[in-house]
Amino acid sequence: MPHIIDAPVDVELSADGDPRAFIWNRFEHTVIGQPQAVFKRTRWWENEGIPTRIDTELWRLDASRGGEEQHRYDLRRGTDGSWTLAMDWG
Amino acid sequence: MTSTLGSATAGTAFAHLHVASAYSTHYGVTLPEVLAEQAAAQGASFLAITDRDGLYGAVKHVRACVSAGISAGLGADLAVHDEEYRSLGRVVVLAHGHTDGRGYAALCRAVSAAHSADRDAVQHAQHGAAQYGAAQYGTASHGATGPSISRARLADLAGLASLTVLLGPDSDVGLAVGRRDNTDAAARLAHWQRALPEGALVLEIVCHLAESGTVGSVTPATRLLALAENAGLPAVLSNAVRYGTPDEAVTADLADAARFLLPLADLETPQTNGQAWLKPAGMMRQVARMVVDAGLHEDGALDRLLRDTEQLADRCRLDPVSDIGLGRPRMPEARIIGVTGDPVTELWRRARSGIADLYSARGSRAVDAAHAQLAHEMKTVEHLGFASYFLTVSRVADIIRGMGIRIQARGSGVGSVLNYALRTSSVEPIANGLLWERFLSPERQTLPDIDIDVESARRHDIYREVFRAFGSDRVSLMSMTNAYRGRGAVRDAGLALGLPDAQINVIAKQMWRFNARDFRRALEEKPELEALAAEVRESQQLDLLVDLTARLDRLPRHISVHPCGVILSDASLLDRTPVQASGMGLPMSQYDKHDMDPMGLIKLDILGVRMQSAMAHAVEEHHRLTGESIDLDRVPLDDAKTFELIRSTRTLGIFQIESPGQMELVGKLQPEVFNDLTVEISLFRPGPMKNNMPLKYLQARHCEVFPDYIHPRFEPILRETNGVVIFHEQVMRLFDELTGCGLGKADVFRRHLGKPEQLPQIEEYLRERALARGFSVKVIDQIWTVLAGFGSFGFAKAHGAAFALPTYQSAWLKTHHPAAFLAGLLTHDPGMWPKDLIVAEARVLGVPVLPLDVQSSALDYRVEDLADGSQGIRLALPELVGSTEAERARIARHQPFSSLQDFRDRVHPRRRTFEALARVGALDTFIGYDRTRRHELLAHIQSLRGTAVVIRADQLAFEVELPVPQYSGDRAGAITSLELRGRTQTDLELLDLNLAVGSHQMKRFHALFKELGVTPASELGNLPGGTEVLLAGVRRATNTPPMRGGRRVVFISLDDGTGPVSNVVFFHDAQERVGGQVFQTNYMLVRGRTRRSGARGVSVTGENLWNLFDVARQVKERHAVERAAAEEAASATAYAAELAAHPLIEHSSSSPGGTLHQLNAAQSA
Repeated sequence: MPHIIDAPVDVELSADGDPRAFIWNRFEHTVIGQPQAVFKRTRWWENEGIPTRIDTELWRLDASRGGEEQHRYDLRRGTDGSWTLAMDWG
Repeated sequence: MTSTLGSATAGTAFAHLHVASAYSTHYGVTLPEVLAEQAAAQGASFLAITDRDGLYGAVKHVRACVSAGISAGLGADLAVHDEEYRSLGRVVVLAHGHTDGRGYAALCRAVSAAHSADRDAVQHAQHGAAQYGAAQYGTASHGATGPSISRARLADLAGLASLTVLLGPDSDVGLAVGRRDNTDAAARLAHWQRALPEGALVLEIVCHLAESGTVGSVTPATRLLALAENAGLPAVLSNAVRYGTPDEAVTADLADAARFLLPLADLETPQTNGQAWLKPAGMMRQVARMVVDAGLHEDGALDRLLRDTEQLADRCRLDPVSDIGLGRPRMPEARIIGVTGDPVTELWRRARSGIADLYSARGSRAVDAAHAQLAHEMKTVEHLGFASYFLTVSRVADIIRGMGIRIQARGSGVGSVLNYALRTSSVEPIANGLLWERFLSPERQTLPDIDIDVESARRHDIYREVFRAFGSDRVSLMSMTNAYRGRGAVRDAGLALGLPDAQINVIAKQMWRFNARDFRRALEEKPELEALAAEVRESQQLDLLVDLTARLDRLPRHISVHPCGVILSDASLLDRTPVQASGMGLPMSQYDKHDMDPMGLIKLDILGVRMQSAMAHAVEEHHRLTGESIDLDRVPLDDAKTFELIRSTRTLGIFQIESPGQMELVGKLQPEVFNDLTVEISLFRPGPMKNNMPLKYLQARHCEVFPDYIHPRFEPILRETNGVVIFHEQVMRLFDELTGCGLGKADVFRRHLGKPEQLPQIEEYLRERALARGFSVKVIDQIWTVLAGFGSFGFAKAHGAAFALPTYQSAWLKTHHPAAFLAGLLTHDPGMWPKDLIVAEARVLGVPVLPLDVQSSALDYRVEDLADGSQGIRLALPELVGSTEAERARIARHQPFSSLQDFRDRVHPRRRTFEALARVGALDTFIGYDRTRRHELLAHIQSLRGTAVVIRADQLAFEVELPVPQYSGDRAGAITSLELRGRTQTDLELLDLNLAVGSHQMKRFHALFKELGVTPASELGNLPGGTEVLLAGVRRATNTPPMRGGRRVVFISLDDGTGPVSNVVFFHDAQERVGGQVFQTNYMLVRGRTRRSGARGVSVTGENLWNLFDVARQVKERHAVERAAAEEAASATAYAAELAAHPLIEHSSSSPGGTLHQLNAAQSA
């Protein structure tokens, strides 16, 4: 069952800049395989002020906590570099 | 630079092969200089710029790469079509380097070919392709009519390993992949492989990490990569860059909205996201990994993709000198400029013979001086190898003179005896104290610049003749890049946000005299923007508009033909510059004036000057009427009457000195000799004005202070300007006198004076040398203060003298041949003032402007001898609004007409023109000039019915009488045209001609003016300074000249129909009081105080202003109240008598005061 998480997380990056692991609820989730970045554009002109980005950065990846079953997650990175765990696709 | 994937380690460098700079107008948004610096900072050793449809940013890019220490690549993003003109999408064409320019030449030719393709056929084919074109990758080609090159031509040019063609997502192959039609994609790719030479084809992989299922996602990228592998072709990775950094994606959105002319919300294919930026190596590698990972590829696909990208970049590294020819001047071949032997010998021969002709009348000493100066100049010319340049320019001047066209050189080239001897210039330099070194010296190695002013009306004829004479492979027009400024920026930003047109218009009208970048600050500071500032505070959308407008400011907006630049070169020109058709049909280079010197291209400014046309017209009219020929260039320069007219400040229409500010300065300066005009023109410049030079000069001139030459050795240099340093030439001479550095070096110092960081060095050198040359420390201190304060301001005397000549010539014509001169002004409209004001000036000078008449009005303004022996000016046919050129030509050809029938038969006017002619009275000839019958005439014409016919220009017609029916008795009253009822001749003229010649449009207000006590403009000069006055009229000009102290002042010139204009100046405090009206009200009443300036000049300091219509209404209302009161009052008669007994002046000072008091109250409420 997919559900919205929307919680701040710490993300560890590989040398290439891809997320390698993230820590959520004190547990480390290890990324499995090649994560995919997706940039979705916004309708910025409907909001106040000029944005520094016209798109939001989402990473779709598979990860697992310890030996548990892997889930598919969406991680969102803000313009300030902070990470949010947006979705748990199950 | 911010980095989204910040911690990504920058791997090896990445070479961007597909980058649009801001010169891809309405597409790319980052300037080449910024991109090159960014690439270098990211560790890249190569950057290509591939602008859309051209090489617009190429030269700037190459130079930027040289300074950034990286290699430049050049290419173009071009549309391609097949042999049946079907679109093949867009490809990137890259030039190969280290080919001795072969690659770059092929690229230039490819771009030119794209612009010269058969437009109609391409248009048709592209239209057909539009259906699937809509799915194009975010970067869809706009419109369906752009430039396009045929694949066959591209294949030709790609031969000899000159070019590489990149097929990316926008190519027909990429588009087929995007449609998931792999079979079609493979077939199309095979077609390309057959068409292009071996090794010229590469597939371009682009991925912007867009959502899956949209353009720019990994799926089509990985499929295109697979296609390359299957076909055995190399694939390269690019980012199809449109901006340097991610935060500029907003600007690219604006560019898309402007390109499609749609609000952002309505764009069908907005950019998918904001990833088309110049990503650093690490991030490009990351993209590559995602693309490779998303599909099934051969082993090592990732490394191969990156390696092939690097290898192609290596192949495309251009050598700025051997490939592009940077910094190597190329002059037209000797035979083209009519030289058989050595150009230097020929130049000597022509110059010597010119001196013999021009100086012999001035005595042997002048001849010797000229020869000595020539020898001095020729030394530099030979040293720099510019002999062909001078011969080329003089050849062009000869061509123009040969066409019988007025010509006048301008600019620093006027300081050269060589140019004078070759008759390129007509101002004698030695007696005028002009300097060759200001123009050219071994220290000044940029290609020289000679500007030539010609009659504006003949400019295009000249261009065509120069193309013919030199050959179209050696000549091209120059282009110019028009950048966004306030109004354009706010319009496009408003369009993007979807603001209503009306609202944008209102805002755009207020974008005046400040940079769009400073929009927000202007809102805070400028009193007239207060209302807008309040709206912005209330609206999130308007707040956004302010910032977006600032984003667009200064970005290149479109390319157009430069108003005067003509490029002359040898037969290699089209290998070194791409050309496209200009509006006038002649080819235009895609390079602008900043690119000329680096590219070694000779540019000649052939500038159309309307005053030259106006003067030529005056001379022609005089010749037509009297048979006498006037040679303006031989008119003596000391005519007393001419100077008298100039001193009177009635300078309206005179070249350079007709603006309100100039009128005032002329009044103060009171010119007596030609050199005074040179000084006057040089003083009225931003630099001298800001440095208060006019005041210093005037004080010394009028002996209010003693001229201060600082040192006797400076006196010969500064005597002509009473001790004030005005001219560049004086600064150069001072440097030379102080240091003995020579005039060439002195000019280098002069130019460096504008750079504060250079000053200490110059000062040190100057002090040391000056001490050694016998100047005291005190003198050095003083003169250094003057020189350092001069900065780079001031004016070349050569410019001033070149301007002063037409100034004097036009003043001479106005003095001695006013009718012919004014006819010239009205025909060619050279000045700053609207035509009504010239008409008013004619009226004041006793030269009536005669109404439009089909019997005598010509295609231009003609002088007519009147029965009383005076002269009048007949209104010209082109003034009739809405008439066509063909109609006017027929009227002019068939004049005179015997009857209305005859007129109709031979002119065949359209109904609209026919009626307009009748309305303004141009057909009054057919009713015996009985104006009261114009109703009948118009009604008759309106009643005519017939079918539309096409006629030949020279069709014959029957000569039969067709009188306008006359009505009598009661019916006469019935025949009125509603269009004429209640309208005066002035109304009708303004309606159909935009110009009132019968009487002045202010005339209807004259009774009101009298009642209010308004001072007529014609009487303003009789008032002492400090008098409180009321002025009124229609606004004719608004100026905000640069002022000392930086606070803006606003000059408004008012025309009330009594004389020239009255000039009102509003200082900052008054502007705050008046608000936006200072720019927005056109019909106004002004209260202010007179200010005398010099012997003849007077202007008014404005204190308040009101809309004249409001005043008129209030006065009318008051009249009504007074009338009612008067009727009520028993002593009505006595009251009226008392009122009438008041002297006018007292009446005026009280009653308008009352009205104005009310207005004041209303305004502050």
